Amino acid sequence: MRLVLVLSIVLAAGSALAQPPQGRGGPPPTAKAVAPVDLTGYWVSVISEDWRWRMVTPLKGDAASVPLNAEGRRALMAWDPAADEASNQQCKAYGAAAIMRVPGRVHITWQDDNTLKVETDAGTQTRLFRFPSTGSGQVVAAPGGPPTWQGYSVANWERAPQGVGLPEAFPVFAARTGTRGRSLEVNTTRLRAGYLRKNGVPYSADATVSEFYDYHKEPNGDEWFTVTTIVRDPKYLREPFITSSDFKRQRDATGWRPTLCTAR
Amino acid sequence: MKHVRYIVVAILLAAPRPLRAQVDFTAEWTPVYHEDAPERLPGPELGDYTGLPINEAARLAADSWDADRISVVPEYQCRPHSSDYGMRGLGNLRVWREIDPKNQRLVAFRTYMSAWGSERTIWLDGRPHPDPLAEHTFQGFSTGVWEGNMLTITTTHLKTNYFRRNGVPSSDRRTVTEHWTRHGDILTVITVVDDPAYLTEPLVRSQNWYADPGQQMPMFYCEPASEVPGPAPNAVPNHLPGTNQFLTEVADWYGLPLEATRGGAEAMYPEYQLKLGKPHSTPPAQCERFCICATLLECLANAPDRPPARR
Repeated sequence: MRLVLVLSIVLAAGSALAQPPQGRGGPPPTAKAVAPVDLTGYWVSVISEDWRWRMVTPLKGDAASVPLNAEGRRALMAWDPAADEASNQQCKAYGAAAIMRVPGRVHITWQDDNTLKVETDAGTQTRLFRFPSTGSGQVVAAPGGPPTWQGYSVANWERAPQGVGLPEAFPVFAARTGTRGRSLEVNTTRLRAGYLRKNGVPYSADATVSEFYDYHKEPNGDEWFTVTTIVRDPKYLREPFITSSDFKRQRDATGWRPTLCTAR
Repeated sequence: MKHVRYIVVAILLAAPRPLRAQVDFTAEWTPVYHEDAPERLPGPELGDYTGLPINEAARLAADSWDADRISVVPEYQCRPHSSDYGMRGLGNLRVWREIDPKNQRLVAFRTYMSAWGSERTIWLDGRPHPDPLAEHTFQGFSTGVWEGNMLTITTTHLKTNYFRRNGVPSSDRRTVTEHWTRHGDILTVITVVDDPAYLTEPLVRSQNWYADPGQQMPMFYCEPASEVPGPAPNAVPNHLPGTNQFLTEVADWYGLPLEATRGGAEAMYPEYQLKLGKPHSTPPAQCERFCICATLLECLANAPDRPPARR
C-alpha cells in the first residue's frame, strides 16, 4: 500500500509541474515576468533572402513570389509613387504587413509589464504588442478609431499544443521533450492599406497579420530571432502570404539610423 | 476501506488529463515559395550572388560555372540537392517518426523530399556524430536536440554541393545547424551554414511549408545519359576567369548595380543601401521577367530569355 501512496505523490507532483505558472490568489503574472525568451535589445535584419526586392526598390510590376490575385495585379500596375508623396502616404511600404522585411534595425523594449514595444529605424515606426493579462483569459478588443500603418497588435507567448497523457514527472512511460512553448505570437488587425513591397505590391485595409517570433542561438554565440509573417488579405491575395525574416542581435545601438519613410 | 481510498486516489491522479504534448513534425508538407521564387523554382539568374556572404574563392568558382555541366557531364546530371540546399529547392517534404517499440521513445525523425527522392534521418537518441574521416553523403549525418518547442539539428559529413544552383559552391567542410518550429499548420526551418572554405560568416536563411494532408509525391527518376553532343571526352564546361559574358545579365534584367550582384557579407546589411551605385545599364521601364512568379507555371509563363542589354 505504501507503493500506491508513493505513486500518488509522484503523480501529484508531476501534475503540478505540468501546469503553466500561475499566481496563487494574487494578480496573474505579467507577460514580462513569464517571458520564456528575452527579445529586448537592438537587432539588425540580415538580407540573405529576397535581396533584390528588399535592398532596392524593385521595378514597377515586379511581384515575384507574392501570390497576388487578379485585383492585386491591377493594383500593382497602378503604383504611383508621386501620387503617394503628394498625398503624404510615403509610409505605405512601412506598415505592419511589410515592416519586418524592410532592411534596418529594430529596438525592442518593454513599454510596461504587458506591452512589448518594437521600434524600427527604417521609417521610424513603432509597434506595440499588447499581451492580455496573463492567465485571465481576457480578450483584448481592438479599440475604435481609424486604422493605422501598424494597426492593433495582440500578443501571446505561444502555448505548446495540449495533449492527454501521463505526467512529465513520471517518465517511465514517456519522455516528454519539445514541450515548452518559447515563441511569441502576434496578431495584428485594423491596418491602413499599404504595400508589401516598396514598388506598390498591395495589401488592403482588410488584411490581417499573424507573426511568430522564434529565438535561436548559434554555435558561434550569435543570437537571432526569426519572425514568420503570415499576411491574409481576401482582397488582393489568393492565399496567405508567408515569409520569414532573420534578425541578428547587436550588443548596442551601432548602426541605428532613424529615417523618414520614402515612397521610391 | 482505507486501502481502497488510496487506490482510488492513485487511479484519479494517474488518469489521463490535459498535458503539454511533444511537438510532432509528422506531416506531408508543401513548400511555400513566397521568398526568392524565381531562384527556387525555374532557377537563379547566372551571376546572381546577392544575399550570400561568400568569399573570393566561391565567387571565382561560381564565375567559372557553366550550366552545360548538367547537360553533358554525367556526374552532374543526377547530383542531388544536399540536405541544406534541399530545404530551399523544390522541397515537397514528408516527415515521419521512428519510435522504439521497446520503450515508445522517439528515436528519430525521417524525411523524404521529392526532389531526387532524398531520404534523411535526424537522430534524436543522443548518438554521437561519426569520426571526421567517415563517409560524407549528400544528406550528411544529422542529430537533433529540443530547445523548448524548437528542434535544433546539427548536420555534418556533407558532400560538396551549392548554396545557389548557379554554381555558388558549398564545401564538404561545412556544418549545418537547423531550427525547426511548427506553428499550427505551418513549418518554419531556419538553416544556418558555417563553411570555412567559401563563407566569411554563417549563412542564415529560413523557409516555410504548410501541412497538406492530400499531398502525393511521385516517384523520382534520374538516369545519366548523353542527350546532346558534349565537348571532348571528360571535359567539364567552364568559363576561364574574365571570360564569362553572362555575369551581367542579372544586373541588366533588374536594373541593379553590377557590384551588388557579386554578393558578400557587406551587401547583406542595411547600410549597404547607402553605398549602392548606379545600375549597370539603363533599367527597363518596368519588370519584364518573372514579374508574376509564385508557382512554377506562373514563372515560366513570363520568362523572356534575352536581357535588355543584348537586344
